[in-house]
Amino acid sequence: MKKAKRKATNSFFPIKAEKLKQTLEDQFENSTDLSFSIFEHSGQKLAVFYLSYQVNSERIENMLLKTLLDSQKEWTVETILNEVPLNTGQKMDKLEELLTNLINGHVFVYVEGEKQVVSYLMLNIEQRSLTKAETESVVIGPQVAFTESLVTNLNILRWRMRSPDLVFEKIMLGKRTPKEARLIYLKSVANETDVNTMRQRLQDLEVDEVEDANVLMQYVEDSSLTIFPQFYSTELPDRASYAINKGRIGVIVENSPAAILAPTTFFSFFESTEDLYMRWNAGSFLRILRFISMFISVMLTPMYVASVTFHYELIPTQLLISIGQSRANVPFPPIFEALLLELLIELLREAGARLPTKVGQTIGIVGGVVVGTAAVQAGITSNILIIFITISALASFTAPSYLMGTSIRVLRFPMIILAGILGIMGIVFGISFLIIHLLRLTSLGRPYLTPIYPFRMVDLNKVLIRFPQQFQGKRFLSFRPKDRVRFNKKKAHEKKDIDE
Amino acid sequence: MDINVKVKSNISIRAFYLFFIITSLQLGVGVMGVPRFIYLEAGADSWISVLIATSYILVVLFVMIFILKQYDNADIFGIHRDLFGKWLGNLISSVYIIYFIATLFSVLITYIEVVRIFIFPTLSPLVMGLLMIILAVYSTLGGLRIMVGVCFLFFILTHWLLLLLIEPAVQIDWDHFLPMFQTPMPDLLKGARATSYTFFGIEILFLIYPFIQNKKGMHFPIYMAAIWSGLLVMITTIITLGFFNGEQVARREWTLLSLFKFQQFSFIERLDFVVVAEWMMVIIPNIILLLWGATYGIKRIYKLPQKVSIYALAIPLLIGCWLLDEHFQIQWIIDKINELGFWLVYVYPFLLLPLVLIKKKWKQRKRGEKNEA
Repeated sequence: MKKAKRKATNSFFPIKAEKLKQTLEDQFENSTDLSFSIFEHSGQKLAVFYLSYQVNSERIENMLLKTLLDSQKEWTVETILNEVPLNTGQKMDKLEELLTNLINGHVFVYVEGEKQVVSYLMLNIEQRSLTKAETESVVIGPQVAFTESLVTNLNILRWRMRSPDLVFEKIMLGKRTPKEARLIYLKSVANETDVNTMRQRLQDLEVDEVEDANVLMQYVEDSSLTIFPQFYSTELPDRASYAINKGRIGVIVENSPAAILAPTTFFSFFESTEDLYMRWNAGSFLRILRFISMFISVMLTPMYVASVTFHYELIPTQLLISIGQSRANVPFPPIFEALLLELLIELLREAGARLPTKVGQTIGIVGGVVVGTAAVQAGITSNILIIFITISALASFTAPSYLMGTSIRVLRFPMIILAGILGIMGIVFGISFLIIHLLRLTSLGRPYLTPIYPFRMVDLNKVLIRFPQQFQGKRFLSFRPKDRVRFNKKKAHEKKDIDE
Repeated sequence: MDINVKVKSNISIRAFYLFFIITSLQLGVGVMGVPRFIYLEAGADSWISVLIATSYILVVLFVMIFILKQYDNADIFGIHRDLFGKWLGNLISSVYIIYFIATLFSVLITYIEVVRIFIFPTLSPLVMGLLMIILAVYSTLGGLRIMVGVCFLFFILTHWLLLLLIEPAVQIDWDHFLPMFQTPMPDLLKGARATSYTFFGIEILFLIYPFIQNKKGMHFPIYMAAIWSGLLVMITTIITLGFFNGEQVARREWTLLSLFKFQQFSFIERLDFVVVAEWMMVIIPNIILLLWGATYGIKRIYKLPQKVSIYALAIPLLIGCWLLDEHFQIQWIIDKINELGFWLVYVYPFLLLPLVLIKKKWKQRKRGEKNEA
């Protein structure tokens, strides 16, 4: 009894319909989008109000207004909830709550004199249709990408993983403009500590707003000073569901077409889902190719700079002659030449990314072919260096993760400078520093370089070489999933003798 | 200071990594020049000296493990405290720490000298020292697990250098090892002693023992580590002595590095450049472990946080690298360290063993008397 009394005193209602209208209009200053209509219905005043662009007005007319106005009943909160054929009915009595829900696309019905107001969710989200993945394009396998709509993304994921174990935990992010996010994991597989860590980090986030999943990733990463991304952000639902099935944790955010996957190892940035869809030997070949190309991308130009600047002795005479000939007319020191060309490549890439597709292609041809040829003929750069730079640029684009590819491209610049100043010692220093740095990184508290260090033999069959499926019976044990076994290897692979 | 060390499970390491820790610390600057030193003493029978040295190290390791097993989870500093009391114990522990710092310093200056001889004659030792100390401090600040990771990864990343020895290995002249078994025993022992600087590193076991998770499985990796280092020194000695004749070996300061000059490919030659540069990856684990050992000891004895002592050590080391660049000074320092290390690493455990056992007996008797009373 006491409780009810206190509620009544706190409550904003009952209120006159006109006054309610006045209050709301004051809140949304001169808002023409607030649709507030008052119906006189069998002696009662019914106020129906909503934000016109947020809701589906057809549904309001057909489902709500028709029911309310056609019958000759006396409406109360209870009868409305019982008889209107909509299932999202809610009662509320606080002004703040009412305002947030108004923004979120609720339609309110208020019967004058009642202590509560009834609301229905009739959100009308404008969304684009499903399209192919742009940044992580694949040749074979599912092509569909996440979209900006949370509901669509949830729908895609649920439709890929129809398991009651799959949890979508709702978490609100951002204090001023809250955004919905979902923590996704398989209850029976994901490591509980990891889930708790992730949940904690998301809940503890004290920010105004979260712009995008990639921004959220930077907020909750282990180390923000490093150049390497520690969580994987993907736009491919098959990649996300694959990772979640293996016991990792996903996070998706409203209005963002990317899913965050954690924990992640350094090596998983060079794994593509395509490696799985292909035969194991072809897939392994591609994966090794990507590792080699990362190495080339970081090392090739610095090696050239170091050996041409300091260590002529390293190059055999035959090769040295051709390098010398191509460099004969170049007036700049190798480090300057290399930085110039690297910069040119980066310019081309950036211009290509910013311009509309049609113009971008033209710029690519003009920049690449015309400027490249002209630079060599004008004697500003040597053509051997152009070959090296092009190879290393190409190599850097093989990383399936665009974030990692960019990190590697940025890394080239300090490496070139080190090589230009300290020669081969600078390169070894740079590589050693990178390795130590990678060793120090963690992803959600799990070592970044696992399973190489901490060394785990059983996990190696998924990293450098993808072994055939019958050897993949165990999950990635370095992340300590709750359920370690995917299938029983013995049952899957019964050995028979010849001709049996 | 407690005699036994309490180690949290999240910073302990698996015994498996002991192999990499010990080999990383054993193989450092010493290997580059050791064949010559052995040859000068033992001549054509140098390989027997290596064999003797390796077997002796296995015995030392056995004794060290035996000493450590007498305690629950103690390191050398705790044992000193237990045996000698506060003042004397701390004094002996301080000698240990000084030995660590001195070895660290000798590794630094030797490598800097090699780089200056082989690659950059004009490079300032300050710059080289800075490069290595940055790496050492950066990884030591990461903690023991990171350091073990560095040892492990750099071990793998440097052992491909062995492949470059195939070319000289097939050109060996086996006559250089004749006549066999003619060197007198004292010379062989002197030859074995010449390897002492190279084989330093087993003493890290005295410090790292409390951090080992599965102590039951530690014998195999420890002995394997000593055997592996012995094998590598053996291989390099045999190839060097077989490839060069005696006179050439005696004349060359860094005989092993000279061997790498003979391998060449169509796109690269003079691989000794690459090897000397890559040798930095062999040196870094050395420096890291020694720096850790020194600062950890200081923390244990004087309670100075490692974050402070690491920087406090790094700066004087850097200045030392800068000031000391004369070959003879460096050799003098190495000789002194050799002397100190020889007694501390190879002889001291044998002195420690009876003391530990007597102390244990005495404690047991005391406990027995108490129980009777």
